[in-house]
Amino acid sequence: MDGNPIERDFSALVDDRPEERSFRVDRSVYSDPAVYDAEMTCIFESGWVYLCHESQVEKEGDYYATEIGRQPVFVSRQKDGGLKCFINACSHRAAILTPFKRGNARVMTCRFHGWAYNCDGRCVRIKGEDEGFPQDGFDRAQFNLTEVKTVASYRGFVFASLNPGVETLEDYLDAAKTFIDLLVDQSPAGLEVVRGYSTYTIRGNWKMQLENAVDGYHVSTVHRVFAATVGAREARDSSSGMARTEGGRITGKVATGGYDLGRGHMMIWATHTTPEVRPIWGQKERFEKEFPPAKVKWILERGRNLAVFPNVMIMDNPSTQIRKVKPLGPDRFEVTVYCIAPKGEPAEARAARLRKFEDFYLTSGMATSDDVAALEDTYDGGMATTARWNEFGRGYATMIEGPDEDAAAIGCAARTSMRNWDFETLYHGFYRRWRTLMAAGRND
Amino acid sequence: MEMSDGLKREVEELIYRDATLLDRRAWDDWIALFTEDAVFWAPAWASEEETTDDPETQLNLLYLRNRGHIEDRIFRIESRDSYASVPLERTVHVIGNVLVDTVNGEEVSAFANALIHSYSRKGGQTRASLYDYVLRQTGDGLRIARKKVTFIDERLEGPVDVYHL
Repeated sequence: MDGNPIERDFSALVDDRPEERSFRVDRSVYSDPAVYDAEMTCIFESGWVYLCHESQVEKEGDYYATEIGRQPVFVSRQKDGGLKCFINACSHRAAILTPFKRGNARVMTCRFHGWAYNCDGRCVRIKGEDEGFPQDGFDRAQFNLTEVKTVASYRGFVFASLNPGVETLEDYLDAAKTFIDLLVDQSPAGLEVVRGYSTYTIRGNWKMQLENAVDGYHVSTVHRVFAATVGAREARDSSSGMARTEGGRITGKVATGGYDLGRGHMMIWATHTTPEVRPIWGQKERFEKEFPPAKVKWILERGRNLAVFPNVMIMDNPSTQIRKVKPLGPDRFEVTVYCIAPKGEPAEARAARLRKFEDFYLTSGMATSDDVAALEDTYDGGMATTARWNEFGRGYATMIEGPDEDAAAIGCAARTSMRNWDFETLYHGFYRRWRTLMAAGRND
Repeated sequence: MEMSDGLKREVEELIYRDATLLDRRAWDDWIALFTEDAVFWAPAWASEEETTDDPETQLNLLYLRNRGHIEDRIFRIESRDSYASVPLERTVHVIGNVLVDTVNGEEVSAFANALIHSYSRKGGQTRASLYDYVLRQTGDGLRIARKKVTFIDERLEGPVDVYHL
């Protein structure tokens, strides 16, 4: 999109041989600066990216500052209740307009030279306008903010694209919609981001974060210490009900699976051995009245990690998380995590959800911290380019084309299904999508 | 208890001991500094200027609600099965600005600052914390009943455990 054709053909970095049931990825995709630059242009600045949740911009004038690829933007709640997205740079000399990551400003005044914009992007004040631009017919509107016109929300999750010709958000979300629906449908009053967040950086490549989020295979090694620790805690103390931890899914002895959801989206699931510890368990009867049994089973009995290409993960386990990724170069990325929860849920359920979040999902917690260390090691190991390939072939022989019976039962149009979350065929969709977008951007 | 120079010295010594035992990985002695009902709380940031302020209803970096929860963290470190904890990072806490605030019955509140240098194979970094303590006089001497850590760094580089804070 920036007018610089991407000269290189990156297709050969994905070694995709279905007839031999072989799928490998060249490790340079994680470290080559040329790959990273092309990703910014062909993926992040050409397709849809996740920006924020609607509860973070609830009232008129609420803003949330973020990025689309390399470009700073902010989302702003309009008077009519809609959302607009603007390039976050003063039309004058490009100073960032938002003093905070998140705030409220019906009029956004640049703190550098005092130019001011309504939250609909119109330039409404130029300091010293009459002296500076005395010519007849001067039109301040030429300095309106640059709008990112392609912005849309799917059930509260806000995405935007710098590419006005991009497909609709619903088409883009593809079969990932099924699993967003399973989370959102739990709360008739809607979902909200709970106060507080954590941001951390990882010395690795952004794609490793999406891979890790739907990598069931590491759970029984990297997180067995989590299961052992909370197991010891619960053997000792008197915690009961929702305060207990669902550790069964970590042992590797429950039914699990995963899907390639199309357009690079992926998910994994695992059966809960103790679904009654889920904060949402109190809604069981209502679910059973409102939803078909297959849907209730998916909501209550299966933890789910969803990776939406290219920059957000939505986890619905005993705790619930939005995990947003911001690439900072081939070798570094930033992650911000939020707890997302049903509005108005009982205090006991909210507290349980938060405590589970803190136990597992933070770099100061007892699981994500271990993921961070493992990711950094895989980045360092990937420098060994003389051992060129990362292996993604596990489970190819038993992969099911299309949705399996569990996905079909809730109308999910998965492209392929795997009956064990230790398998890796879901990544084929991710890297084929990556290869397609990287090739398409080449001809811009 | 009443405010006295002796109490101030006792408070300072306990706060220094907290940091020293962590840096020297004397885990059992460190845990013994806390009362059984001790709360170890590090709020999350809620904006550039504010942390979360209600640990029950908002997100925290760490909210350990009794000494057992603190022991859990050490159990994990000592298991040698935590990816983030092998090899264990090195840390040095430098404590300053210890200020005894108020005495209330058997409890005394105090403030302190910490500069914490940590080193891993990824390199070294220096971070900082504000500490708000509530210390309690017990049969075993002065113990930590509550430690609130405001971890100044918001964008965290690498894993953060009890010994980094």
